[in-house]
Amino acid sequence: MKNMEVILKAKSLSKRFGGLTAVDDVSFAVTHLGVTSIIGPNGAGKSTLFNLLSGTFMADSGLVELDDQNITRMSPEGRLSCGMARSFQITNLFFDLSVIDNLRIASQALEPRSNLFLPLSKSTIAINRANELLEEFGLQECHDQLAGALSHGQQRRLEIAVTLATRPKLLLLDEPTQGMSQGDTQDTAELIKHLGSKITVLLIEHDVDLVMDLSKMVIVMAQGKKLAEGIPSDVRANPLVQTAYFGEELA
Amino acid sequence: MLNPQVRAIRLIEILLLVSAVALFAVGSILGDTFFLRLATESLIFGGLAMSVDLLLGIVGLLSLGQALYFGFGAYLSALVLKEVSPSFFLAIGVVTLSSIVLGWLASFVALRSKGVYFALITFGLAQVAAKAVYNTRSLGASDGMMGVPILQIWTPFGVVDAGHPGAFFIITLLTIGALYSVLKYFLTTPMGSIWHAIRSNEDRLAYVGYKSKEPKQVAFILAAVVAAVSGALYPMLRGFVSPELMFFSVSGNAVVTVVLGGVGTLIGPILGSVLLTSFKSIIGTWTVHHHIVIGLIFVVVVVSAPKGIAGLLTKYFGKNHSHKGGE
Repeated sequence: MKNMEVILKAKSLSKRFGGLTAVDDVSFAVTHLGVTSIIGPNGAGKSTLFNLLSGTFMADSGLVELDDQNITRMSPEGRLSCGMARSFQITNLFFDLSVIDNLRIASQALEPRSNLFLPLSKSTIAINRANELLEEFGLQECHDQLAGALSHGQQRRLEIAVTLATRPKLLLLDEPTQGMSQGDTQDTAELIKHLGSKITVLLIEHDVDLVMDLSKMVIVMAQGKKLAEGIPSDVRANPLVQTAYFGEELA
Repeated sequence: MLNPQVRAIRLIEILLLVSAVALFAVGSILGDTFFLRLATESLIFGGLAMSVDLLLGIVGLLSLGQALYFGFGAYLSALVLKEVSPSFFLAIGVVTLSSIVLGWLASFVALRSKGVYFALITFGLAQVAAKAVYNTRSLGASDGMMGVPILQIWTPFGVVDAGHPGAFFIITLLTIGALYSVLKYFLTTPMGSIWHAIRSNEDRLAYVGYKSKEPKQVAFILAAVVAAVSGALYPMLRGFVSPELMFFSVSGNAVVTVVLGGVGTLIGPILGSVLLTSFKSIIGTWTVHHHIVIGLIFVVVVVSAPKGIAGLLTKYFGKNHSHKGGE
């Protein structure tokens, strides 16, 4: 069954910053489709792990495989062309460009490189993709607004739209609901669930209830190590996880 | 309705073109030399400022050594005209091709760094080149090179005598206009969008699938070509070149011109150059301390209109835009 096939595999990944081992011998596998989440208390190494997976940092040791291809040393733009895209915890857009330009630039990688020096109007695939995303994410109203002038919720939505521009098969979402209102968080949860039905989503999230609700698999990290892994109900019941993450009083 | 910045740019384009045509007509009728040659010079230095603006205003790289390419173009043009053949097109062609190579080589050094360090490296490269030229006897050392012949330029409308101030003004206008059109074209391509993206958030670019290095290299080379071709016109106007053309005062002046005219508009710097050159000339007839006056004007502009004249116009159009309720 395709759903059980592994799309992303991490083998004994480690990353040290000076004396601190931020990610310590972490191995896991993400299977096709649905939402897989990484949770853990602050400083557990989730973001560093994400940076290793997306090519922001290079691992000191270990392997990252995407569809059985070794991408451990590949640059972020290389990983994108292999079908992996990521969003950022702190909104990271082209703030002084318009919303449509953000989407169009993000979609440009769909076009052949030879189009780089031809007039923009020749890049019809990118333009169509940008308009499609604009509609899908309900940003038509802000078409010409600068990304920096959008509300926080709109910026978070644009951030996800930008990462989806090249139609990746694996999407890494770094705390997409960070700083969102309750209503926006619910909308985003729906969106992630919807995305998970079409592509594979790997999610870092603080909101435990949200994660338990959305995910097919949960990986728990603490102090740079993988603590537990499993379906949400098992993870919730795991006493180790309860002490490390949910707090002593719940355990 | 067009966005305010596009309207501001269009207005400056029209304004400059109309003034140029008017100056040419009036100047030719009255047999003027001074103002036509002054305007020609302001266009030449405007070309240099435009190349600074491509790097600073579009890609977000502050070059403090753009005079290197300007001086390189001027010297190479003088050499070709004196030693090879007094041909306008040969000089421009040789300068274009050589500046592509020079820009490409220099880009490997300059683009290793960002921000302040990029500014310092470009500054350093230009200083090294200026000192080398200053001490090279075969290039005339500190005296520079004199005796560049007056050109007879072949055009489809007959041969033009570049010694005629009006004729060479038009040649310069067309050349700088062509450079401007090339840069404008690039801004309508995805490459141009990527440059804007680099200025806006360089680190994000890798995650939408592009390395920033190659697009920066393309811009850097293009800026070198624009500066060098502008410089190539200088000996045709003045009949000489001197090492001062590569000095920091020229690079720094170009940055001031860009800020005065309006960063990131390409046409703003041309307007800035016309205004600065005029100010210098007019104020220079009143007092020898004209640099003080220019300095004061610069301070006032930076404080009151940090985006230059083009920025003021953009703001004005922006207000009108919203008053009419986004008509």
